[in-house]
Amino acid sequence: MKTWSELNTLQPIVTKMLTNGIEKERIAHAYLFQGSRGTGKKEASILVAKSFFCPNQTEVEPCHVCRECKRIDSGNHPDLHWVKPDGASIKKEQIAHLQKEFTYTGLESNQKVYIIEHADRMTTNASNQLLKFLEEPSKNTVAILLTENNQSILNTIRSRCQIMSFKPLNPIALQQKLVENGVTEATARLTSYLTNNVSEAIELSHDGWFAKSREIVIKLIEVLHEQKDEAFLFLHNQWLNHFQDREQTQLGLDLLLIWYKDFIYYHIERQEAIIFMNEIDRFEKYTYTLSQKFATKAIKNILEAKSKLMANVNPTLVIEDLVLHLQR
Amino acid sequence: MKFVIQRNQLMESVQDVMKAISSKTTIPILSGMKLEATTDGVKLTGSDSDISIESFIPTEENGIVFVENIEPGSIILQAKYFPEIVRKLPEQTVEIESDEQFNVTIRSGSAEFNLNGQDPQEYPQLPKLHTENSFELPIDLLKDLIRQTVFAVSTSETRPILTGVNMVLRDEKLHFVATDSHRLASRTIPMSDITSEVTFKNIVIPGKSLNELNKILEDSQDKIEISVTENQILFRTKHLYFLSRLLDGNYPETSRLIPEQSKTNVVIDAKELLHSIDRASLLAKESRNNVVKLMTKDGHTIEISSNSPEVGKVLDEVKVDSIEGEELKISFSAKYMMDALKAINTEKVKILFTGAMRPFIIKPGSEEEEILQLILPVRTY
Amino acid sequence: MSKRFPTNGRVIFHVDMNSFYASVEAAYNPDLKGKPLAIAGNPEQRKGIIITSSYEARAKGVKTTMPLWQAKELCPGLRVLTPNFDRYREASSQMFQILAEITPFVQPVSIDEGYMDITECAELGTPVEIAEMIQQKIKNELDLPCSIGIAPNKFLAKMASDMKKPMGITVLRKRELPTKLWPMPINEMYGVGEKTADKLRKIDINTIGDLAKADSYHLKHLLGINGERLQNRANGYDPRPVDPEAVSDFKSIGNSQTLPYDTTDEREIEALLHSLSEKVAERMKRKSVVSENIQVMIRYHDRKTITRSNQLHDYVELSEDIFHIASTLFFANWNGKPIRLLGVTAQHLTEKEEMTKQLDLFTYENEAKNEKLYDVVSQLSDKYGKNIFKKNKSYENKSSVSTSFQKDFLDDYKTKKKK
Repeated sequence: MKTWSELNTLQPIVTKMLTNGIEKERIAHAYLFQGSRGTGKKEASILVAKSFFCPNQTEVEPCHVCRECKRIDSGNHPDLHWVKPDGASIKKEQIAHLQKEFTYTGLESNQKVYIIEHADRMTTNASNQLLKFLEEPSKNTVAILLTENNQSILNTIRSRCQIMSFKPLNPIALQQKLVENGVTEATARLTSYLTNNVSEAIELSHDGWFAKSREIVIKLIEVLHEQKDEAFLFLHNQWLNHFQDREQTQLGLDLLLIWYKDFIYYHIERQEAIIFMNEIDRFEKYTYTLSQKFATKAIKNILEAKSKLMANVNPTLVIEDLVLHLQR
Repeated sequence: MKFVIQRNQLMESVQDVMKAISSKTTIPILSGMKLEATTDGVKLTGSDSDISIESFIPTEENGIVFVENIEPGSIILQAKYFPEIVRKLPEQTVEIESDEQFNVTIRSGSAEFNLNGQDPQEYPQLPKLHTENSFELPIDLLKDLIRQTVFAVSTSETRPILTGVNMVLRDEKLHFVATDSHRLASRTIPMSDITSEVTFKNIVIPGKSLNELNKILEDSQDKIEISVTENQILFRTKHLYFLSRLLDGNYPETSRLIPEQSKTNVVIDAKELLHSIDRASLLAKESRNNVVKLMTKDGHTIEISSNSPEVGKVLDEVKVDSIEGEELKISFSAKYMMDALKAINTEKVKILFTGAMRPFIIKPGSEEEEILQLILPVRTY
Repeated sequence: MSKRFPTNGRVIFHVDMNSFYASVEAAYNPDLKGKPLAIAGNPEQRKGIIITSSYEARAKGVKTTMPLWQAKELCPGLRVLTPNFDRYREASSQMFQILAEITPFVQPVSIDEGYMDITECAELGTPVEIAEMIQQKIKNELDLPCSIGIAPNKFLAKMASDMKKPMGITVLRKRELPTKLWPMPINEMYGVGEKTADKLRKIDINTIGDLAKADSYHLKHLLGINGERLQNRANGYDPRPVDPEAVSDFKSIGNSQTLPYDTTDEREIEALLHSLSEKVAERMKRKSVVSENIQVMIRYHDRKTITRSNQLHDYVELSEDIFHIASTLFFANWNGKPIRLLGVTAQHLTEKEEMTKQLDLFTYENEAKNEKLYDVVSQLSDKYGKNIFKKNKSYENKSSVSTSFQKDFLDDYKTKKKK
């Protein structure tokens, strides 16, 4: 996501809005980039800075090789200012320092860009300090606030920023990224379905607990269809030991859901949509014992279980109830 | 890049540019020092982004060779280690060389240091001085201008523009003005010989930068060349080049705030007054705001007093050369008055009052120098 | 027991937390509940003394200030803890917040007791119902017991809260003095210490009733002005108002008032702000202070209360200036809903004598305009002495309450956010 065109494949709307603004020289004084981890906020902020300083742009694309671009990448550009949390939070002194910086003329030019990472982690003092500063924008200054947690930004700050929402990545793009990072295709499919954050997905791929979860879910399906009477025993011996709290149970249910969905995809011959790629043999095997209608009902049951879980019903109860339904 | 240089000259330059280098910089490359070799000599640069200092060592001066075997080029060296290395080298000559990968070798006699340098392209680009857009002043005079005004800049960031000295070129005069809104110091000098090419009119130089410049400049009758670019002010002496960023914004128009008429005029020996205020302030310092009171007594005396409920009272009478106009009782900060008297530094001073709630002016007894100190009184209840 | 609000006179509560430190510890660690527990200066050393103890310990004879070894002898199973003052402060602050939700007229006296004037809270229920509500709320939310005395003034409320502990609610009416108060031994009267009690016993005053009926000239001779005051109290008379600022002493001066009915009428609101500002200015003048911060309190019909303040760049002292700032603050923060109560408080006070003001180049004209006026004041001061412009300020009478705390923090509950 180093260039506008790369960013465009992931964040077409934001890219269009930002590049249009740059092209028409209508850049806001302050932007708030919001979106979850790994959605390209920081990359976009660097691109805005480059478009601001790079002298060799083709249309809006900065050259990425000139002195300005290189120094923006290395953090040595004197008129680009980064603020990151110092420990857990961004402190008032950091904003005060920034503010002092902006009472001075630039070192090389009179244009300045400042980027505040994790802007939601500003202390109340720091927020108020920044607010004063946003209230009196100077003409050649662009502020870019980055946050994963839009709710924690003061309303008064938000209202002074142009807000850019970074959409969660689409699963196919994410899957590609994962495979590039050495994750097997089967795992990449699954994890990219469960999260749209690259780093989280990679973490999941290497997580032993997660690998075991997959096994247990498949095993439950096997037991449900081949040794119905053992289902409860299995539940208590294995499932409940593994999926202990509400959050873990939700993940187990998600995996279960994926399996039944896959089964239906297999039935309607949409193999490309199947996530549990290694389960094809089993889908084949169950074609005659498990009807499409039952699978649809199973999906409905699982979704109900999920919402019960969300409504704070005891996880053991929820899963017991679900297994009763799936046994029939 | 490669050159061989005299260690003493190098050491001196290193010490000069180190004054601009701060370990607390937020731009990583500024923790380094830039070395640049050209056929004319070697230039060292240090910067904390607010101020930058360049020191130039010519290949030769007065027939003495300082730098030889020059292969032009530049490099950034870690400023943390470089000065100590230079200081401890065994021989008088030093060879410094860098390769494409920014590896630096420093040789002197038996010693050889290999350091990792950094790409000079990463370093900020500092503006060049353009002679046609510059003017000159004797260094001594510039130091006076700074000394007589910079102490009055504001130390609070609430109005950042007041943390600087306003430098204005108007009516063939150069004005320096500083105020923290409680007192104001100004000094004006004629600039009749200035060329029309000089384009700046009104800028604000951070007080901190001027203090730094004043420290670096040694008393001298030599000239210093001054030039103002869009975002920096540049001062150049023979081998030293001092740059400062400017304060962004409009300085308040102060000339109309200075009273033109007065109601009570006092002429007094500056030292006598200074000492008297100093004595009164001994106790006044103990209370919150170091306030002293001045009262006209008769045609020849003023009374300086202070009262700190916890500590006690001081009363001091000072003979004056003359008092004209209305009777007066006024309170003000002892510190501001002492600062002003020290800045003026003439035998006699003239103090022009316009009332107990209005600013008063202190000027030299003779009017040959255009220096003016203004102080806002303190209201007591 | 049915007790309506009186048609005239006030209704004062004295809220007294029961064995506060020990109760806080028990709330913190429920295992300690129902067990004899003491908080002592230094449990390691047998020399440590008991600061306070639970009722279970008291039942065995453990008393405050008793040496630890003696307490352990009397009560072998005694659990002893060192004090956690931060915990007590926090609990205290929460307790006062609960009281402040009922009325702004809360006067903390120490960490574990305070007065409330609930005269204007009739719509919340009868005084006994309000007291029960407070007691339950403190019990439910903080797990702490308290006793509440209900009476027409502070002294009687204080005496009443002492009559039933723990978790008591006692009403003490004036007409009940002969039966409830007067038979009590003189040393149990609030404000009568051991020395005073000894003196009184010497002139045959052994009960509060004896004091009430004693010869006032004689009393004055024996105890000075305090004698008269004590006798008044014994007769059920105590004029001290519940003063929410008493604890903050010189830090702020404020007045608040409930409107006769909830209103949105701007003229009415302005009129009230004006009269409050006048009262505040008058009190400031009496204390010879000026303020740098004005606060307004708005309580809406639904009892939702907000306070907003303005830090000034200048000292204010005149009622017009205070009114101007207060009304600007009010109209900037009023949500337009009906208002029940308004308050104006001058904060960040400075004594005039200590005060000087450095004039500012960009604003001195404001001051210079009034130069002539100041001249006159200062000439008069020079001629007649400074005191013509202020009244004697030493009339303030501070009740002396001893706790192991600085009282400053008792104000904190006001600034803490309501949960």
